[in-house]
Amino acid sequence: MSVLEVKNIEKDFGSLKVLRDISFDMEKGEDLAIIGSSGSGKTTLLRCLNFLETPDRGSIAVNGECLFDAADPSSVRESDIRRKRLHFGLVFQSFNLFPQYTALENVTLARKLLCREDPGFKQHKKEIFEQIDEEGMELLRRMGLSERAGHYPHQLSGGQQQRVAIARALELHPDIVCFDEPTSALDPELTGEVLKVIRSLAEQKTTMIIVTHEMAFARDVADRVIFMDEGLIVEQGPAREVIEAPREERTRQFLSRYGGKG
Amino acid sequence: MFFVSDEFLTVVNALNTGFVKTLQLFFVTLIGALPLGLVISFGSMSRFTPLRLLCRAMVWIIRGTPLILQIIIIYYVPGLMKIFTWGGGETGRFTAVSVAFIINYAFYFSEIYRGGIQGVPVGQQEAGEVLGMTGWQIFFHIKLLQMIKRIVPPMSNEVITLVKDTSLARVIALQEIIWMGESFMKGNQGYAGLIWPLFFTAVYYLFFSGIVTLLLGMLERKLEYFR
Repeated sequence: MSVLEVKNIEKDFGSLKVLRDISFDMEKGEDLAIIGSSGSGKTTLLRCLNFLETPDRGSIAVNGECLFDAADPSSVRESDIRRKRLHFGLVFQSFNLFPQYTALENVTLARKLLCREDPGFKQHKKEIFEQIDEEGMELLRRMGLSERAGHYPHQLSGGQQQRVAIARALELHPDIVCFDEPTSALDPELTGEVLKVIRSLAEQKTTMIIVTHEMAFARDVADRVIFMDEGLIVEQGPAREVIEAPREERTRQFLSRYGGKG
Repeated sequence: MFFVSDEFLTVVNALNTGFVKTLQLFFVTLIGALPLGLVISFGSMSRFTPLRLLCRAMVWIIRGTPLILQIIIIYYVPGLMKIFTWGGGETGRFTAVSVAFIINYAFYFSEIYRGGIQGVPVGQQEAGEVLGMTGWQIFFHIKLLQMIKRIVPPMSNEVITLVKDTSLARVIALQEIIWMGESFMKGNQGYAGLIWPLFFTAVYYLFFSGIVTLLLGMLERKLEYFR
């Protein structure tokens, strides 16, 4: 069974059609890279999956459960959306860490707020929080940030901040982790450390969707690549095939502009 | 020694009484205007257009007219129009002037809040949302402190201004410290023609605004741990 099924998603901003008939699905443990020029709708697609935008048409299902169906208004109730979001994690281009919290607090805040809704929270608050902190520290360790747990975001480099943001997204154990151009806001010398972390997540079979301009990275790390242009999926297939031997003329044109990097 | 003379002690005693009234007005205004300003700021950011326009229009009126005029209108107009009176004496005057100050400062504060809230990057809201937080959790745990950090400097300016603005209550003869200082020029407790008490009130204002500046400066430094 597919972990994610996206069917016929469409999104308009006024008269501008940002997403047109987007359909694809993903298997558990699969890594999908989405490439395309700016304005092709890649970011909007990720935002739709995370319910930051509401698609105008189409449906989204995770593990066979329909999370969203534009034809069924009851599937877009505000209170349900909050829970449904937890199937997805999102790492932003601009990190968006909470500046008043330390790295560890950034990672654990949402879990600590969420577990308040669990029965028995009051009696076991201390143990529960200790366990969350432990898991948070473990995640930071995997990101190579054990030494930085008590630092505030402004005391961290961009690459470190983005790794904290990745830990924060993983903390809630989402089924699918989405990355929105995770290295585009970084200095070139800092992109490596972030890509390395994402690569290690891929090796651990984390299901990921990565919007990226790093063609070599997409080719080497992703299992599959989707090329988008003007809100449409122009081509999709195995990563190496699409990037090294694209079938479509538009894909070829796009990739030739990234020739030096590929 | 002048500082132990009957004249000095009598005057200082009266000024102290007036200063207590000044302090009362200061704190009542803050306690009323700080939360009311937040409510108004939500109104002026509302998606419901009539409410938003109403709030913006009120901000324009309150900020565009002198506080002294607002005090006079609020004190006299209800009585003149035979709607109600504020009651005689010092209590009535204090109630009326408190209402005027709270309204005036709430609208000023609302604009500061609005700037603070809108200044928090939209990415903070979205980061909270994708982590499954509720609207209230995002407001209290993420945006509120960032907003406070943003508004402390402009708020400090307004609060220092309020320290001195309390003297406008004198226009309806509220017996705050300026009124007291003046009274020794006109004649009070056997003294008349004294000019120094009026000047001496400045010492009280400087002392109090000094304390307020220090406290707000401490708050500002406390929030410097993040950016």
